[in-house]
Amino acid sequence: MKISVLLRPLMYLDPGTGSFIIQMILAGFLGIAVAVKIYWKKIVAFIKRDKTGKVQDELDNLDEYGGEQDSESPEKKG
Amino acid sequence: MERNLQSASFRDPSGFLFDRAGHLYRQVNQSYRKHFDYMIDSGLYDALVAQRLIVPHKKVEGVDFPDPESAYKVIEPEIVDFISYPYEWSFLQLRGAALTTLRLARVALDHGMILKDASAYNLQFHEGHWTLIDTLSFEIYEEGLPWVAYKQFCQHFLAPLALMAYRDQRVNLMSRLFIDGIPLGLAAGLLPPRTKVNFGLLTHIHLHARSQKRYADRAVSKQQVKGKVSQQGLFGLLDSLRNTVKGLSVRIGNTAWANYYGETNYSAEAFEEKKAIVSAFIDRVKPGRVWDLGANTGEFSRLASEKGIFTIAFDVDPGAVSQNYIRVRKEGEKNLLPLVMDLTNPSPGLGWGHAERESLMARGPVPLVLALALIHHMAISNNVPLRKLAEFFSQVCEYLVIEFVPKSDSQVQRLLQSREDIFEDYSISGFEAAFQEYFSIIEKKAVIGSERILYLMETIR
Repeated sequence: MKISVLLRPLMYLDPGTGSFIIQMILAGFLGIAVAVKIYWKKIVAFIKRDKTGKVQDELDNLDEYGGEQDSESPEKKG
Repeated sequence: MERNLQSASFRDPSGFLFDRAGHLYRQVNQSYRKHFDYMIDSGLYDALVAQRLIVPHKKVEGVDFPDPESAYKVIEPEIVDFISYPYEWSFLQLRGAALTTLRLARVALDHGMILKDASAYNLQFHEGHWTLIDTLSFEIYEEGLPWVAYKQFCQHFLAPLALMAYRDQRVNLMSRLFIDGIPLGLAAGLLPPRTKVNFGLLTHIHLHARSQKRYADRAVSKQQVKGKVSQQGLFGLLDSLRNTVKGLSVRIGNTAWANYYGETNYSAEAFEEKKAIVSAFIDRVKPGRVWDLGANTGEFSRLASEKGIFTIAFDVDPGAVSQNYIRVRKEGEKNLLPLVMDLTNPSPGLGWGHAERESLMARGPVPLVLALALIHHMAISNNVPLRKLAEFFSQVCEYLVIEFVPKSDSQVQRLLQSREDIFEDYSISGFEAAFQEYFSIIEKKAVIGSERILYLMETIR
């Protein structure tokens, strides 16, 4: 990836050039990874259909103090 | 005149907090107008309120703008009972705040906005939930731009969490030294080399730090980075950060105090008796809020919080605070806030003009303080004279419920075992004499089956 970097850091919260650059690199493949993950989940969900997965997920979420979330996942976007 | 009363919000050009006639308001500036309207119109605000992810606000009419030239409107956010800071949270609390921040970022993206700040100071544990208290934290998302708060998230959350998980929970106190989060180069240096085989820590901390160092002398403009990070890429980044945070853990329950109640000087009967006395004292004072100092896992704090009184359970031991927090979350308790606090060195005023983060005492006083099984630690382990202790308590509360633990008590004997007994005044009469300089004793009750005495006192004004 060729990145030209010069001048003008004009954003309110200056994130630092290095933070931007690593983010660009990471976002490239993490974006692909998350897409693959979503399709994989869909395939698994299709094979498993309903079964007990949902209850189990709910219990898992309850167990994670502070991590009770995640009804809102990226797949809603796709 | 009242500008910047809340001195933590002065850096944000979108608006600021101000205080008038006992109400807390937030001025929204013209420069933030389109983002504010978009947040309301896109349904983001309602979605966040419904999920208790943001503190709700009311629109306000008829309040003069403190700064009319830049003003767009004034809102009145719901008051949060107590502002606590990340260096006062246990591992699980910081982890909860981190996951909530990532969730906020995802919900915002779903509504076409982006979280522009990922400051841990913007989250508070409010009525049993982690909640964003800065309403002006969102901007309209421009496709192709990177997440402006990525670095801040890594500094405020990921670095301290990783250090706590891989080194020691007490490292969280480093956040006191670095007000904008722990620098990533520093965190990378302190983390053990094995963190480099953790994909999330390798990328978001180690490589991130290296990239920062390498490009430290270059600047970059919005135009240059535009189009470099897709929305899918942002989702990937958020997902990866979430997995990294969720992969971090600490051991809970093996700390000095976590087993305390198992080995105290109280028989089950005396313990219940002590509870009944403290509960009756609380009923007598009917306080609006309570600080329980040296609360351990919050056994006695709950005597107050279960009466519907907002109570903070302070303890020096992160393990005890974690256990307390787990119980708060499991039971869905709304009035109890467990915090890590070393009373021999409490949180100072920090940041610009010492005013961005308030000291513990500046966040008081409270109507009632509980100081149970505490004073022998302060007076004997820490050499604080009884007069000094009385003075301190008189500054933080109106009423005080305090337990005197005599020298003959085996816990005190244990403290004295390894040191010379230089504490001549440490007796019931010495204790009462010292405290009566600042307090009047309302009631005094011996706990049957123990040598300890409980006092209810009122500060002399």
